[in-house]
Amino acid sequence: MDETVGPSEMIVHLGPQHPMQPGPFRLNLKLKGETVVDGDIELGFIHKGIEKILENKTYLQGIPIVDRICYLTAMTNEEAYVGAVEKLADIEVPEKSQYIRVIVEELSRLQSHLLGMGEFGEFIGFVSMFMYTIKEREDILSLMDMVTGARITHTFLRFGGVRDDLPEGFKEKSAAVFASLREQIADYEKLFNHDEIYKLRCFGVGILDSKTARDLGVSGPALRATGVPFDIRKDEPYLVYKDLDFKVCTATDGDIAARINVRLEEMLEAMYIIEQCLDQMPSGPLFFEDSLYGVRTPVMRVPEGDVYHRVEDPRGEMGFYMVSDGSDKPYRVKIRGPVYPTMQALPPLIKGTTIADVAAIAGSMDGCTSEADR
Amino acid sequence: MDAKTIIDSLVNKFQDSLVDAKVDSDIRVSAYLEPEKIVEVCQYMKDELLFDHLSSETAVDYPKRNEIVVVYHIGSYDHSVLMTIKVKLPRDAPVIESVVPVYWNANWYERETYELFGVKFNNHPDLKPLVLPDELMGDWPLRKDYEGFPNRTARNLV
Repeated sequence: MDETVGPSEMIVHLGPQHPMQPGPFRLNLKLKGETVVDGDIELGFIHKGIEKILENKTYLQGIPIVDRICYLTAMTNEEAYVGAVEKLADIEVPEKSQYIRVIVEELSRLQSHLLGMGEFGEFIGFVSMFMYTIKEREDILSLMDMVTGARITHTFLRFGGVRDDLPEGFKEKSAAVFASLREQIADYEKLFNHDEIYKLRCFGVGILDSKTARDLGVSGPALRATGVPFDIRKDEPYLVYKDLDFKVCTATDGDIAARINVRLEEMLEAMYIIEQCLDQMPSGPLFFEDSLYGVRTPVMRVPEGDVYHRVEDPRGEMGFYMVSDGSDKPYRVKIRGPVYPTMQALPPLIKGTTIADVAAIAGSMDGCTSEADR
Repeated sequence: MDAKTIIDSLVNKFQDSLVDAKVDSDIRVSAYLEPEKIVEVCQYMKDELLFDHLSSETAVDYPKRNEIVVVYHIGSYDHSVLMTIKVKLPRDAPVIESVVPVYWNANWYERETYELFGVKFNNHPDLKPLVLPDELMGDWPLRKDYEGFPNRTARNLV
């Protein structure tokens, strides 16, 4: 951004600490009156150096580290990491474990979308929205707690399987939670469709058209809200997604409301996927009997090579590029988070809008600075 | 568009500069490329082969071979083939042309690769550190010979 200010222009720094932010980053805005003329983002306030840390940990020790890239999407981060190692070392996963993985990952998608929407509600001044969604999210987290033993950072996936089987009573408990969540989602929709303030703030604001979104490299709900049906679960199926019936949720308007609607629909789809998994769940072991790997495989050497494995994170495309030199530690790990390009796309997106809309637009993109910084 | 067609088309067009071009699986192709050709190849892939999505761009350090390899993962919103392009650069003076004119979102990836590995990108619109503090510039923390803790952490520098 050009730092020189013209007549009646001023530069405003939003952040690094600001209530509208999902984590510390600095948004520099050049304003003319209330209109945003230009903007740029500064990152690095919570740069943790996870890529370097992973180079110094054995493969198994890396699993809890990738959880901490972003706690909301811990499960999909693990899937991307573990999946990449499995591809490199050519490890097979039994079908039962694959189904359990899909269940926990879709639960992760549900809770991420719920928190994202709650935060978004807060950003547009609708603070009760956060109270509504956080309650439902807590129920989802209890379900995850039942399976993994932790609310947010699970360390649940293992090379060639998962740590534990589903507990008894999970199906019944999830049915009860989903029934209440479905009701709530219907309520949210009603709320959004009848609230005049919501309509004024969200319809036709922050429009991202499909061509720009492709040029900016956006993925996930923000891209699907522009009408591009790009979903890694369909395009590059991993686990058992190719056996499951689900649709890629898209919208056409590309504005804030469209992004929220896509998330609401995706939550319904996620519940549908989990129910299918519970119905189709095969019996069998969590690890293949002749597999070298189990719940506690301390050291593993991975053959030389490199792989780029990507999964559909709640926010978009999550990819791990891993290089192995044949030792028990990865030679290089590159984490390609979905939020990184989404945050990068924010300055062009807010150009020309008013400063009051900046928080709404940023909230609807569902960013997470922790993941962008890594 | 399948992996075979893509790699054939690229090999036909850029015979001299593509090395070791191969199909890894149905959805993955990879090749080594001469550094001078990177922008041209990216432009060709974007215009002719529908590769409109730069998934990521990074580097890998190989001190023993005295090389830094810049790695581009280029995918598409329309088909599911993902191309991995690797470019070998000398470790003492890694310089390459920026692909920002072709893929807009390469901007941050290149800034990050610059601050972490010291790879310089020519014609980048704004090549400055992204996640590191200014004091750590020139240390290139993701290179293998980085000393790191305890002497070169941000806390000791301030």
